[in-house]
Parts: sequence; structure tokens; C-alpha cells
Amino acid sequence: MSLLVDMMTNTLDEAYEERARLRGTPPAPNPLQPSARRGRAVLPVVVLVLLGVVTGTAVAQVRERQEESTGLRADLAAEVRERTAASDQLEARTQALRQDVAQVQVLALGADTTGRRLAEGLTSLGLATGTTPVTGPGLVVTLDNAAADETGSTDSLRPGTAPSSSVQDRDLQGVVNGLWAAGAEAIAINGQRLTALTAIRSAGDAILVDLRPLSPPYVIQAVGSPKDLEVDFMDGPTGRGLTFLTSEYGIVVEVRRAEDLSLPGAAAPQLSAASPASGPAAAATPAPRPSRSGS
Amino acid sequence: MIPALALMAGVVLGLVFEPTVPAGLQPYLPIAVVAALDAVFGAIRAHLEGIFDDRVFVVSFVSNVLVAALVVFLGDQLGVGGQLSTGVVVVLGIRIFSNAAAIRRRVFRA
Repeated sequence: MSLLVDMMTNTLDEAYEERARLRGTPPAPNPLQPSARRGRAVLPVVVLVLLGVVTGTAVAQVRERQEESTGLRADLAAEVRERTAASDQLEARTQALRQDVAQVQVLALGADTTGRRLAEGLTSLGLATGTTPVTGPGLVVTLDNAAADETGSTDSLRPGTAPSSSVQDRDLQGVVNGLWAAGAEAIAINGQRLTALTAIRSAGDAILVDLRPLSPPYVIQAVGSPKDLEVDFMDGPTGRGLTFLTSEYGIVVEVRRAEDLSLPGAAAPQLSAASPASGPAAAATPAPRPSRSGS
Repeated sequence: MIPALALMAGVVLGLVFEPTVPAGLQPYLPIAVVAALDAVFGAIRAHLEGIFDDRVFVVSFVSNVLVAALVVFLGDQLGVGGQLSTGVVVVLGIRIFSNAAAIRRRVFRA
């Protein structure tokens, strides 16, 4: 306690008073030579200049560090934008090439009856696997995060509560499962067609569909009979779950029928290890690589 | 007047030339500044009380800076550098404020 009191009361360096006492009060005429006295008077000025230099340097350094970090962030953001644009371009090119391939396929296979049957089989397979773009009537389910003012601004301070007000990957999984169960024939989320190998998961705050990060609102398009889809979907457990999400967490849910949906095709999965199993099932489907299947 | 000008000139010099400081010394610059400020405020107060002594000022200035840097350095070695920096800043801050209050009382008589 005395340490604190001492700190608060005796703020002046005791050395000043000691020196004053040594010199005697009132201040005696300085015993030093005038020239030496002048030299001594310069010293504080030099020290003050030094202090100024150190202060300026410290300030300059802090500023420099800030600039560096903001510059780095800007660079990273620019790179992300650049890469995303490049990826989008490649995606568009893939789509165009896939269409070309499909056209050429139809042309090449349209020559005789076996070819035509193969082409039909290919089309139905493409529809089932999700690699062929489809159009048709269906249902559109839109999920969006709760409005910011509804959830309160304290969410950022309490990390445990923050995720509940935003759409989670398992919400999307539930909706997609519910749509499949209700008889959907093709589903896409924000223009990402779902296939048998599509994963819906989260990485940090973002939801990834097929490894592509999506941002809200999440628009889930499902092709199928609009009436049956809506009735079965909303009456099923998923529909009730959505009502709960809305009432409990303020998630914005919108379900509407659509007469003309058009879903893109997904990239054909690159299977490097899997090959058709030999046996009656393999014999029934046309083998893609006869040279291998014969062995 | 001259000391104030000297301080300003120093700040401008530091900002303009941005002397490169070894990376190991960088964390101690802010602490050194605060410690030096304490010595400066003590000197102003002593000057107003008529007991200013340039030798005491220079010695207290240098020793303040060195001791503050040493304490923070020790803290860094012991893994409590952040806390000790805070402690140094708090103690010196209290001294600066009470010295500033004393100066204010002498200058404005209030």
C-alpha cells in the first residue's frame, strides 16, 4: 500500500531537491565556468532532440507496419478475385465444351439404330447422374441468414450464438434430402448441380457445395412435379424443421413453385480407381473400356 | 521555448528520415518514449519549482529509458513482456499525470 501511495505522491525525482539542497537555497551562483555552463545547458536540448527522434521513429514504424498489413490484405483479396474470375471463365468454357461434346455425340451415334439406342441410354444416364443440363417445372426453396438487427449485434462477441442465426450446412443438407425424398429429379444449389458425389459442408463461415464456396441467399432449385414436391416437402419432417428454423433463429425461408427451371449440368466425375464390376450387372450395361473388361 | 523546439525538430527528423532500428530493439521504442516523457515532465515541474538541474535531468532521462527497457526485456525473457510493458506504462503514466497536474497548478494556479 505504501508503495502505491509513494508512487502517487512523490512524483518528482528526489534528485532535483537533493541537488537544490546541495547548492543551497537560494540558488547559489553557479560555480562552473561560463563556457562549461553553456555546454551543460546544451545537453538537455540534445537529449530532447534524441527523444523526438525516437518518438518519430516509433510512430513511423507503427504506421509502416499498418500499411504493410493492409497492403498484404488488399493483395490477397485481389488475388482471390482474380482466381475466382479465372475459375468462372474455365467453368463457362467447360460448359460450352460439354455441350459441343454432347452435340458431336448425338451426331456420331445418330447414324444407325444401335447408335441411337446408345445415345438414348447416354441421355438418361446423364439425367440420372446430373451431368446433363435439365429444364422443367419444379420447386424453388430459398434460405437466407437472419436479418442482422433481429439477431442483435452481440452475436460477434459471443461466438457460440453467432452460427445459429446463419444458415448451416446441415440445414442445406436437410432441405436437399427432403427434396430428394419428396421426389425431386434434379437439384441445384445456387447454380451448382448436385450429383451422387456432391458434398455439402462448411469451411469456417462459408458453405461449400462441391468445394465451391457459396454466399447467401441459398437458392435450391429442384425439378419435379411442383405440386407433389411442395406438398410432400412441406408436410415432411424437413418442412417442419424449416418452420422451426424460422421461428427459432429467424432464418428467412421462401418456398415457391416454378414453371420453368433450368439447371446446369455438373462436371462428369473423374473416376480413376473405380471400374465396372464384372458379372451380370456389368454385362447388362455397355462397358466403357472393352479392352480392360475383357481381362 | 528552445527545449520545445528541440523536441519538435527531433520528431520531424525521426518521421522524415525513419532511421532503421534493429528488429530486436523495436518493441522497446514505445516504452522508451514513455519513460523519457516521464523524465521530461519531471524536469518541467522542477524548472517551475526553481530546482531544475540539467545534470539530474540528463541522468534521470537516460536511466529512466534504460531501466524501463531492461524491465520489459526481462519480462520478454520470462514470458510476461506484455504484462510488464503494461505495468511500466501504467506507473509512468500515473507519474506523468501527477507531474502534469503539479505543472498545471503552478502555471494556472488552479
